[in-house]
Amino acid sequence: MSAALGHLRVLEVGSGVAAAYGAKLLADLGAQVIKIEPPRRGDATRARGPFPGNVPHAEKSGLFLYLNANKRGMTLDLARPRGREVLERLAARADLLVHDVHPSEMAGRGLDYERFAAANPTLVMTSIAPFGVSGPHASYRGPDVVTWNAGGVGTLNGEPARPDLPPLKAFGDQSGFQAGLNAAIGSLGALFARLSSGRGEHVEVSTQECLAAILELTFEFWPYCGLTASRLGAKPIQPLCFMECRDGWIFLCCVEEHQWKSLVDIMGNPEWASMDIFADRLSRGANFDALQIFLAECCCEWSVNELYEAAQRRRVPLAPVSTMGDLLASPHLRARGFFATLEHPVAGGVTLPGAPYRLAATPWTLRSPAPCLGQHTAEVLAEIGVDAGALAREGVV
Amino acid sequence: MASRAPLAGLRVADFTWVWAGPFCTLQLAHLGAEVIRVETATRPCVTRLLPPFADFEPGPNRSGYFNQYNQGKKSIALDLKRPEAIEAAKRLCAASDIVVENFAAGVMDRMGLGWEVLHGLRPDLVMIALSGYGATGPDSDKVSYGPAQVPLSGMSSVTGYRGFPPMHVGISYGDPTGGLHGAVAVLTALIHRARTGQGQYIDLSQWETSMAVLPEAIAAWTMNGTAPERDGNRDPDMAPHGVFRAAGEDRWVAIAVEDDAAWARFATAIGKPGLAADPRYATAAARKRNEDALEEVVTAWTAMYSPEEVTETLQAAGVGAFVAATNHDLADDPHLNARGFFVELPHPVVGTRKHAGVPWRMSESDCRVRRAAPCLGADTDQVLRDVCGYSEAEVARLREVQALV
Repeated sequence: MSAALGHLRVLEVGSGVAAAYGAKLLADLGAQVIKIEPPRRGDATRARGPFPGNVPHAEKSGLFLYLNANKRGMTLDLARPRGREVLERLAARADLLVHDVHPSEMAGRGLDYERFAAANPTLVMTSIAPFGVSGPHASYRGPDVVTWNAGGVGTLNGEPARPDLPPLKAFGDQSGFQAGLNAAIGSLGALFARLSSGRGEHVEVSTQECLAAILELTFEFWPYCGLTASRLGAKPIQPLCFMECRDGWIFLCCVEEHQWKSLVDIMGNPEWASMDIFADRLSRGANFDALQIFLAECCCEWSVNELYEAAQRRRVPLAPVSTMGDLLASPHLRARGFFATLEHPVAGGVTLPGAPYRLAATPWTLRSPAPCLGQHTAEVLAEIGVDAGALAREGVV
Repeated sequence: MASRAPLAGLRVADFTWVWAGPFCTLQLAHLGAEVIRVETATRPCVTRLLPPFADFEPGPNRSGYFNQYNQGKKSIALDLKRPEAIEAAKRLCAASDIVVENFAAGVMDRMGLGWEVLHGLRPDLVMIALSGYGATGPDSDKVSYGPAQVPLSGMSSVTGYRGFPPMHVGISYGDPTGGLHGAVAVLTALIHRARTGQGQYIDLSQWETSMAVLPEAIAAWTMNGTAPERDGNRDPDMAPHGVFRAAGEDRWVAIAVEDDAAWARFATAIGKPGLAADPRYATAAARKRNEDALEEVVTAWTAMYSPEEVTETLQAAGVGAFVAATNHDLADDPHLNARGFFVELPHPVVGTRKHAGVPWRMSESDCRVRRAAPCLGADTDQVLRDVCGYSEAEVARLREVQALV
C-alpha cells in the first residue's frame, strides 16, 4: 500500500476553511503539504474553537486540528517583501499552491501566478475567492452566511408557514467546505493534465458558483417554468419531515408509494391512513397540516431506534436525527473505524471525523497531528537554504 | 495549439442515478472524460420523472433536474434485467477506465458486474461505489435517500432557529457533498494509476462524507460532551451575522460583520458612525451580548432599502453582504452572467435553457460543459458499435430481444 499523492509538494496559504479543507483532502491522501500562516496570530481558525473546556487556546481548536492534520506548518509574513521572496522560493519547488486570499489582497501577498510560473512552469496555483477573481463582484467580501445566500441555497430553507422567519443557513462554514472540495477537484484535474502536458496552470474557484451549482432541482424552475423557488408554502411531496419520538427526533422519508404503504403498515394501519386526502404523495403534500397531526400521534409511541429499524427492515429510508452523541456511539461507524483519534502535543488526544472514503490500494491515512504555530518554520527554511534566525530577527517568521 | 481537456481519452461507465452519483460523474465530464450513463426506460432515473419539466409538460427528456446534472454525458439504454444487456454492460466496463455506481450494496455483484468480475476484465480499472452507509459494517444494507442524509449525519440536530426543532438545509446536501468527495477520490486514483498502472476499488459512504463537513459540532462533543445549540443564522464570534429583512415582499439580505474594524465601517455606511464607539456594540464580545438589540438596529436600516441597495452600500464599505438570492435572482445576476457561469447549449427536446456550469476555471486546460444532457438512450447505437465493438447486425439483434430499452 502506498500514498497516491505522496510525490506532490503542496503549499497552502489559507485562513479559514476553504483552502485548508482543499489542502487537507490532498494531505490525507499523502500529499506533502506546507501550511503558511501569518506570524503571531496564525490561521483565523486557531481562534475559532471548539476548545476543550471552552477555553480558547491557539493550539487546541477542534476545527483547526481537524483541517490541518497531516500538514507541516510554518509562519511567514507575506505582507513584507522578504516574506514574499521566501514564498517565491518555496513556489519554485512546489507542484501546487492553493490559497483563499481575497483577490484584492493577492498582489500584496505576492500571489502572482505569472511570476511564479516564470520560475516554475510546472506549478499549479489554485485561487479560491468568494465571488471568483474576476467580474463585477470580484471585490465583494463573503463569509459563509453571505456566500451561502449569494449562491442561492439560503432562500430554499426555512419554516414553510413562517414568512416572518428569515432564510436559514446550514450549520458551520459549509461554503468553505464546498469551495475546498471544488478546489481539490480543479487542482487534481490540473495535476492530472500536467502528467501529459508537463505544464502547470492557474485554477480559479468561485465559492458563489460552487453553491449555485448545488441547488438540486430548484434552479431550473426559472429557466424551465418561469417559477421562483421559495422556502415558503406546502412541500409537494410528504412525508419528508421531522417527527418527535419518545426519546428524540426522526426523519420520515417516503418518496415512493410502496414506502408509504409499508410505513402505514408498521404504524399498525390506523384508520386515518385510508382517508382520501392522504391517498398519494401529492395529496399528502397538499394536506400535510392534517397529516402531521396524525403522524405526530403515532411517532410519539415509538423510540427513534425502534421506528428506524422497523422501517429499514421494510426498506423504507427513514433516518434518525442523529445527535453528536449518537454518531460517536454508532456501532456501524465504530465497525468501519470512522472516527480517528490524534495525539497532539498540546491539545492531547482529540477524536475527529476520519476517512470519508476507502481507497483500497492507496488509503486515507492520519500520519501527524496539526502543526503548532511555526512548528516547522526552521525545518522548511533549511530545506531551501534560508537562515531562519535572520528572518526571525526581522519578524518575518 | 488547441488546449486539451485533463481527462481527454478517458471513459466512464456511469451506473449511477438520482443526484450523488451523477454529480460525481458530472465533475469528470467537466474535465473532459467521456461519461456514458447506463439507463433504462423500464426504470428511468428518478430525476427524469421529477419537475421542473420544460413549460410544465412532463416527459423523461424534459426535466430540468436531470438536464442540469447530466450535462456533457452520453446515454445508453440497457435493460439490465436481460442477460444480453449485462453482456453489453460488461463490454462497456471493459472498455472504460472508470466505473461509478450508487446502487444499494450488493446489486452490482448480483448483476455480475461486481469489482472482482470487472477487475478481471480490466486490471487497471478504477471503480467507485457511492452508497448511503458504505460497503461494510452492520448498517451497510440499510437504504438511504438524499434528504435523509442531512438528519442522519447530525447536521439537522445543529441546524435550526433557536428554540425550534431540528431542521433541514433546503437541499439534499449529502448528495453533492458525497459526489464531490467521490470525484476527489477518483481523480486521486487516476493519478496513482497513471504513475503505477494500478487501478483500485473505492468505497464511499455518504453518511461519512456528510460528517466530514461537521468537524466543529463533532469536536465540541468529543472535547466537551456538548453539541452546539441551534442558533439560526448567528455565529459564535461574529455579530451582526444573519439574514435581515429588506424592503420588498419576502426580500432578505445576508450580512456578516467580521470584526470590530468592519463594525466601524458598517456604522459609517448606515449613517450612524456613533455606533462604532457605543459601548453596547464597540467590541465583538459586546455585540454578542447585546445581539437582539443589535439586530433591531440592523433591521431598522435594512428594511428601508432593497437587498441590492444594502449589498452595494455595505460591499462598497468592505462589509460582507449579499442578497438572499432566489433562483430567478441568480439567473439574472450580472456578475455570474459576466463570468460566463451559465451554460446554454441546444437540447433536442427542451431547446436552449440556462443551466449552472463549472464553478472553476482553468487557464490552460479545456474545462467546460461540452454538450447538453442526453435524451434517454440517445447514444445507444454509437456506444455499442464504437465502444463495445458490436456490429450493426448484433446491435439489431440486441434491439430485437428488448435489451436496448
